[in-house]
Amino acid sequence: MNGALDIVTAVLLVAGGFFCVVGGIGLHRFSDFYQRTHAASVTDTAGAGLMLLGLMVQGGLSMVTLKLVLVLAFLLFSSPAIAHALVKAAHGHGLALELDDPGKDGDAAG
Amino acid sequence: MRLGVLALLVAVWLSLSGPYTLHEWLILAFGVVSVLFVWRLYLALDRAAGGGSEFFRASSWLRLPRFLVAFALKVAAANLHTTKLILAPKIDLQPRLRRVPASQKTSFGQVLYANFITLTPGTITLDLRDDELLVYALDAESEGDVMDGSMDRDVLRLEGGPD
Repeated sequence: MNGALDIVTAVLLVAGGFFCVVGGIGLHRFSDFYQRTHAASVTDTAGAGLMLLGLMVQGGLSMVTLKLVLVLAFLLFSSPAIAHALVKAAHGHGLALELDDPGKDGDAAG
Repeated sequence: MRLGVLALLVAVWLSLSGPYTLHEWLILAFGVVSVLFVWRLYLALDRAAGGGSEFFRASSWLRLPRFLVAFALKVAAANLHTTKLILAPKIDLQPRLRRVPASQKTSFGQVLYANFITLTPGTITLDLRDDELLVYALDAESEGDVMDGSMDRDVLRLEGGPD
């Protein structure tokens, strides 16, 4: 395996890991359910995306890379669907949104 | 379009678990059964949704690379902003709800736009109703990413609207 490609992979994997950790930290530091979903989406997009990209660099033009691309594609379809389902269920069942400017646009939306 | 989906399913199956010699007739049979089953599911879902999948004509596939680049750049920028919010010494958020028009013509385009917003950290789509999205944003900057309409235009362009 080429040395330069190994370095690229290492950088991408570490960066992906960094964003996964950041997502986890955000999950704890943010204060309510809706804010926490935003932190989780950092893990879903930057974390998983950079890691898969790093592995694709190792795979080169091969079946392995094609499978990694498919994993990324499925992830990009399923994670927003899941996030939306969670948030809509919470909103629909009346879990209160903490808003900075209540009344302006939000309350009419209920 | 329907045959296009069938071809896509066959291609996905071949690339993920296809038989590499024709003697593996059992594997081949599993493949035929699973592809036909998923295609049948797709037809039923497409009918239930009122046929929204006319979105992807051949010309849309040609515009896809440009969309993916715009998508990746926006998601990356939003990730950096949200990371800053998370790692700030003091958590300082001004969460807000906004109604955002979704000007796409097809339901597929509108769902794609809603998912685009949800995938962008800092903004999430709560509801889609009457060509309008209900978007929850973490702060003014995240809100601005949606309200300036650039993501809406990205999806419109993919759909084949005015450039």
